[in-house]
Amino acid sequence: MKRLRTILLLAITVVFLLAWAFPIVWSVLNSLKTDKDALAYPPKLLFEPTLDAYRDVLFGSGSILPNLLSSMIISLGTTIVTMVLAIPAAYALARLRFRGKKFTGFYVLATQMLPPVGIIIPYYIVLRNIGWIDTYQGIILIYLSFSLPFAIWLLVSYFEDIPYEMEEAAYLDGASRLRTLWRIIIPQVRGGIAVTVVFVFLNAWNEFLFAVVLSGNTVRPVTIAMFNFVSVEQTLWAKLAAVSVLAMLPVVILGIVAQKHIVKGLTVGAVKGGGRR
Amino acid sequence: MSARGQVVFKDIWKKHGEFVALKNVNFEIEPGEFFALLGPSGSGKSTTLRILAGLDAPTAGQVFIDGKDVTGADAAERDVAMVFQSYALYPHMTVAENISFPLEMAKMPKAEIAPAVFDAARKVKIEHLLDRRPGQLSGGQQQRCALARAIVRKARLFLLDEPLSNLDAKLRLETRVELKKLQRSLGMTAVYVTHDQEEAMTLADRMAVFMAGEIQQIGTPEEVFAKPNSIDIAGFIGNPPMNLVQAKYQDGDVFLGGHKFETTMQAAGSRDVVAGIRPGAIRLGGDGLQSRVDLVEHLGDTAVLDLDIGGALMRVRVSDENVPKEGDTVAITARPQDIHLFDSQTRMRLS
Ligand SMILES: Nc1ncnc2c1ncn2[C@@H]1O[C@H](COP(=O)(O)OP(=O)(O)O)[C@@H](O)[C@H]1O
Ligand SMILES: [Mg+2]
Repeated sequence: MKRLRTILLLAITVVFLLAWAFPIVWSVLNSLKTDKDALAYPPKLLFEPTLDAYRDVLFGSGSILPNLLSSMIISLGTTIVTMVLAIPAAYALARLRFRGKKFTGFYVLATQMLPPVGIIIPYYIVLRNIGWIDTYQGIILIYLSFSLPFAIWLLVSYFEDIPYEMEEAAYLDGASRLRTLWRIIIPQVRGGIAVTVVFVFLNAWNEFLFAVVLSGNTVRPVTIAMFNFVSVEQTLWAKLAAVSVLAMLPVVILGIVAQKHIVKGLTVGAVKGGGRR
Repeated sequence: MSARGQVVFKDIWKKHGEFVALKNVNFEIEPGEFFALLGPSGSGKSTTLRILAGLDAPTAGQVFIDGKDVTGADAAERDVAMVFQSYALYPHMTVAENISFPLEMAKMPKAEIAPAVFDAARKVKIEHLLDRRPGQLSGGQQQRCALARAIVRKARLFLLDEPLSNLDAKLRLETRVELKKLQRSLGMTAVYVTHDQEEAMTLADRMAVFMAGEIQQIGTPEEVFAKPNSIDIAGFIGNPPMNLVQAKYQDGDVFLGGHKFETTMQAAGSRDVVAGIRPGAIRLGGDGLQSRVDLVEHLGDTAVLDLDIGGALMRVRVSDENVPKEGDTVAITARPQDIHLFDSQTRMRLS
């Protein structure tokens, strides 16, 4: 009986794993083909791998290196500004008792549920009026409007886990408020901060819809630039796949680096989240 | 240099909205004293300690430490150390880092910190655990770590809020003794919150007894035990606590279950009182109040009897040699000086 269950669970896991892995495997395989091989039907499983596609997209004409850089600036900028603002805000929110505290949580969730197409035009008009279309500060500002509430909401639950008495102990030990935050509180929410950083960075890195509308030729993240390889006449599958793999790389690296924290942070957050007031 | 660690609480009130947590609290603590704040749960002891520490502000009144008005001063400015009931250790730091934290904050030179940390750890016998984290310590070791963190810096005051309540009974007794020795050897002023009257009796030089946000009595443990100020204190202190029964007072005597007991009161006249007699002050035999033994509790070298005196319960502590049996009838007497009289209306002491 138990054996059967194990086998069943294993089977389900494998199915899910395959479903998730398939696009990645497809991208990696095709990125190593020539454009002609990539088009072949039925798909060639045995082929002579080549790095031509990578060489072309990185160093050929229309290199996507500037776009990768663009994405990096936007994502890092969004992440840094978000964290600098969200950490003190979440801390304050966790400590303060005020009427309508519950409502702020709902409000944050509501901003996440808003269909983006509904607000994209107002955002466009606002940015155009202040002349920030196709600028880094413009895109980052718009991303902040989503990432900041989300990051605060996520971090608050981690801060709430730290007993206030511990902070009081630090004050009595002669520490100032800022020092207490830095030395006593923040080290204990490292896991939560890591999780938040990953989420915020990934969201900014993967964002497409707002980037299409609000960027231009100066600021052109890789998610947009990818479509250089798709045109009415033809799709350069190998190059498109190579760019995809390159775009995934930072995500994968970040995932590996932060894995330990993410797993811990997610499970802690999940358990806590279920029992929150 | 004058001795450090003197405390004055002057007319302190604390309100939470309509609720009055502290009602005009006044007391003074002398340097080097072990001062206990004793009272049942919810009586305002922790509130008092937190106001002294600067973690809460009083609604009215003033706090002085070493003659200086610190009422509005932050906790960090007061130079007081505290042991919390939860210990409040920093979980991400090792024991050594926990203990050194207050020294770092006081900007002690690096070279002096390590020896000071070791010294404090040695005093509470955890010098072999300096590299551990709090999560890897037993409850007793965590408690010691919290103690070490509090004593490492020579603070003016040493505040403790129920520091032993999370330990098991045996460890609690051991630690109690060590705590007293530690405080004596350091010569620090200690302010100790507890709801355990035995703890306060054994540790304190003097104590303030809290009832519902008010101090009802301040004195040495002996004084409070010998002459409790109110029915509430009388019923709170001693184990088992004082017997308290409704009685009739007349011209220097009090009538319990129809029997006359002489008292030390002289006043003429007649009135309703509550008479108190400690279980250990009651003698068996002689020409006394006849009562039936309902229950015998053997406690080793002593026994506690539940007596029925005309419908009321009277508990008596006797030595283990001549214990009557359940169902026996015994006569009880008490010396005049062992009979405490309280006003049944104001609940305050009369004699
Ligand atoms: N922040 C607060 N708001 C309302 N009531 C409080 C607050 N803090 C303490 N109290 C109340 O004040 C009373 C005294 O509390 P405390 O000093 O903690 O008692 P204890 O003697 O058990 O240490 C309790 O009845 C408690 O419920
Ligand atoms: Mg308390």
